[in-house]
Order: sequence, then C-alpha cells, then structure tokens
Amino acid sequence: MRTMSFTEPKESKEIEESLVRELQAGNADAFEKIAELYQKKIYALSFNLTRNTMDAQDVTQDVLLTLFRKINTFQGKSAFSSWVYRITLNATYMKLRSRKKELTVSIEELLPSFNGGGFQQEKIQDWSENTESLMFTNETREIIQKAVDQLPEKEKVVFLLRDVEGLSTEKVGEILDLTVPAVKSRLHRARLFLRKKLSNFFEEYSREEKKK
Amino acid sequence: MMCCKECLDLLYDYLEGNLDPQIHSSLTEHLQDCPPCVAFINTYKSTTRICRETLKNAEMPEVVQIKLREFLKSAKRTV
Repeated sequence: MRTMSFTEPKESKEIEESLVRELQAGNADAFEKIAELYQKKIYALSFNLTRNTMDAQDVTQDVLLTLFRKINTFQGKSAFSSWVYRITLNATYMKLRSRKKELTVSIEELLPSFNGGGFQQEKIQDWSENTESLMFTNETREIIQKAVDQLPEKEKVVFLLRDVEGLSTEKVGEILDLTVPAVKSRLHRARLFLRKKLSNFFEEYSREEKKK
Repeated sequence: MMCCKECLDLLYDYLEGNLDPQIHSSLTEHLQDCPPCVAFINTYKSTTRICRETLKNAEMPEVVQIKLREFLKSAKRTV
C-alpha cells in the first residue's frame, strides 16, 4: 500500500477525514488503515531525529497507540497530519530527553567573513559540481547524517519537516506552533549550518582530487 | 552596488522568490560580478538537495515492518 504524503491535496484529505471519523466511532479497521498510511512517515521522522532503529520503532508504536487512544481528543482545529506530527515529535523528544543537548550557533559563524565594506574576504570553493559523483558513497552519506545530527534541535526539526519531508512553511509553523518568519529563520540557520559542515568535507575532497 | 553581506542576508528570500523586483535585480547584478557569492549560493542550494536525498531514504527496515505488523494485530484485538 502506498504511504500517504502529508502534503497531498483534496482527495487524500477527504480519505483522511473519513478515516478519522470512523476511528472516532471506534472502527478498528480504520485504525489499521491509518497505521498503514502513517507508520513509514512516523518512523522516518523519528529515525532522522534519534538515528536509532529501536528508538524509532518504539516511537512508531507509541504514536500509533496514542492516535487510537486519544483520537477523541482530536478536534479538527488543525490538520490530522499536523496532529500526528506533533505526537511523533513529543514521543521522540521523550526518547531523546536523556541525551538532549541544546547548542546554539551564531549566524556569523556560519557566514563567510566580510571586510569593513561588507565584501567577502576569503575564497569560497564551489563544490556543488562535485556532489553528484559523491552522493551515493557511504562516506558521503555518513558525513551528511553526522552533520544533520549535529544540528541544534530547534533547527533540526524545522529542517526535517520543511526540507526533507517537503511540508510547507505554514504547515511547519502549525505543527511547531511557530510564526512563519520564525520557521524561515530557523530553516535558514539550519541550511547555513549544514553548508558549513559539508563544505569542510567537500573542500577537502576537492583538494585531494586535485593532488591526484 | 550591493555588497556581499547584503547579498547573503537576502539569500533565503532570493531563493524563495520573495524579493522586490528592484532588490532582486541589484542582487542579480552583484552575482554577475562576484564568484564567491555565486559559490556560496550554489553550495547552499546543493546542501539542501543532497541532505534531502540522503535522509529521504530513511526506510523502515524489514524487521521493524514485521514487528509493527505483529504489534498492530495485537493492538487491533484489544481496541
């Protein structure tokens, strides 16, 4: 069965709404269908935050049970999928609580250095052309995953929902209870942070390639 | 002429297509003459793309799928 994309239009929304109504009426088949539609999304988000298969599995089970047990507390004020995401994030943060660390990074550290006139002082290497050939190597994947793991939590969750899941800025704001400008600012910081981390790797790689 | 700092401060809105036409064109003008800013923007865009492509593949392992199916079966019996 295909996984429902959280961003799909009308048709999916109607299916989703009717499943929710059935579930609220106590239909166990609707529970199974909802689980089938959402479990992969729940797992992927949780896995990208915890980077641990067992934790992501526990979270997925917890979330599915919560969906069922608390379905009557869902009032339809926000989209059902936003509610699912919020429950997923809460369950994931419970798992992460013990190892959660709050880092803050200033935006200046992520931008190039400028002279007094606001012009760039350092030479920036454009490694964007090199990424194609490197994309699918295990080393590159590990570097990317490690860079994402190092993102401060506030930026990481926005990045995962907006850039990885492909949700709209407005929807991410709804899920996280943030204003649109706040979502944009966190997303921008996340991208700058990741760019900086990946630059170290790709620049080193380009230097090595030139030596050959 | 727009400086690099101003250019990079506007980067997010530039890529989202949210800039006023006038500001947009002075930024484009700056980019024509500034390889470091072009490199910065290219690598910023590339970062988003490669991270998405890597993390999108967070698929559920077979063993987890099996466990979840069992879990759902037993949960369904109790609900």
